[in-house]
Amino acid sequence: MEQKERYMRWINEFAKASFSLYSGNTISAFQPLDFFHFYGIWYDLWLERVIQAMEKIDAENKSFKELQPLLPTPSNLRALLQKAIPPYFGTDKSKKVLYARYTNFIARMLMEACPEDPFGLSRTPLHNQSEVEKIIRDIPWQPASAQEARLLGKLITAAGSLVHGLYNDVVTDFGWDAYGPYNNQAKDDEKYTLLVRDFPDLLPTELWGADFTPSVKSVQIYQLYQNVEWVIGCVGCHTIVKSGDPITGLKYYVVLADGKILGPEELRVLIMELATKAEKIYLEIRKKNFEELKEMVMLQECYQLKKLFEAAGLDWKPTARMKEIIKDKPLQTGILPHDVMMTNLEQYKKVFHLNEFEDEVLKV
Amino acid sequence: MSNKLILKGLGASAGEVEGQAKVFLPGDDAGSFPEGAIMVTTLTDPTMVMAMMKAAAIVSDMGGITSHPAILSREMGIPCVVNSKIGTSTIKDGQKIKVDGAKGEVYEMD
Repeated sequence: MEQKERYMRWINEFAKASFSLYSGNTISAFQPLDFFHFYGIWYDLWLERVIQAMEKIDAENKSFKELQPLLPTPSNLRALLQKAIPPYFGTDKSKKVLYARYTNFIARMLMEACPEDPFGLSRTPLHNQSEVEKIIRDIPWQPASAQEARLLGKLITAAGSLVHGLYNDVVTDFGWDAYGPYNNQAKDDEKYTLLVRDFPDLLPTELWGADFTPSVKSVQIYQLYQNVEWVIGCVGCHTIVKSGDPITGLKYYVVLADGKILGPEELRVLIMELATKAEKIYLEIRKKNFEELKEMVMLQECYQLKKLFEAAGLDWKPTARMKEIIKDKPLQTGILPHDVMMTNLEQYKKVFHLNEFEDEVLKV
Repeated sequence: MSNKLILKGLGASAGEVEGQAKVFLPGDDAGSFPEGAIMVTTLTDPTMVMAMMKAAAIVSDMGGITSHPAILSREMGIPCVVNSKIGTSTIKDGQKIKVDGAKGEVYEMD
């Protein structure tokens, strides 16, 4: 009798969703450091620490709801998963159990956080219907015009550029989530689509120091639209309009900065501050040499699980051994092609080794 | 007035805009970017945010539909064409162009 294979089967759903992140793109567009060819140098060592932290708090036997306060946002978890697979192919592959436990844990957290669409194929519904209704009932909505819609676009642009931290693109290390779209929601006898944008940690002083961090820690944007059809894809931070006009379609909004409602003038001030900080920090990053960049990439990666490490009583920062192993090391080569544009799902799965990862790691 | 197709890339944010082009590269001074100009660049990065917020449209040499210029153009509701490959070497400062963000096309205007 054929033995039934028992393992967590998430790689195909993950592949379908994450393909949109790379479709029509090349990894050369991700600057300032090709992290795909860097992580393999030190990732085994970090995963050992992560698994140690998970064991100390028995994370593999706890639910997302129990662990949510210790975890980064869903978009961040998806980005962690995205970054965890290529490094395995830059190692001697002896630590496959670490990779399996870590990626299965992240995948399970996402399945519990967003059961309808864990990996952000087209929706990222973190809230259940009663939570959505509570938001619509409790938020002190402000009427929106095209002017406010454009202001919110600029706010998202400025905040989004800042939360990338070290990177120009792709990585939402400190959370940039778009939750929804929650369609057909009733308010005052009319139907709306609710989108929630969450920037929970605009720029941590632990990484960047007070000179670069903005005056507010978190920003949440609530938006009610009519006649606009949305898709939320990639890792769960990017909204894409399927039909309608997002400028004229915005009917109500509220922006909260550290819990305080902002009016249009305060919004303009905040946009300028965030955009200025985003420029300033990236100019500073561009001054860093290769060794400094590597250290910063590693520190930023570790920061994402800071709360989980602290709950386990462990230091979240890279260990001396991790720092030593990357010192004076060049980037790896040949794990992923630099200038090949991803044009279809099967090509993406092959190039990013997703089927191999399932066969070699998840099935073990 | 005739329109001549000069670039074909990926349509990353829908909409049509005509205006004057400004070739703007990472590290350039955002203060020098004219309000309402069309940004033509290699690939945007966070040093260009202030200039992006003044742009009427963005055309980039590199990137895909989920790249930095694509995502942020969609958020701001302005047209964007990415992966034009030769935009910065083809288009000159002050040139009058039209960007069709749905088709991924850039036209030279007479």
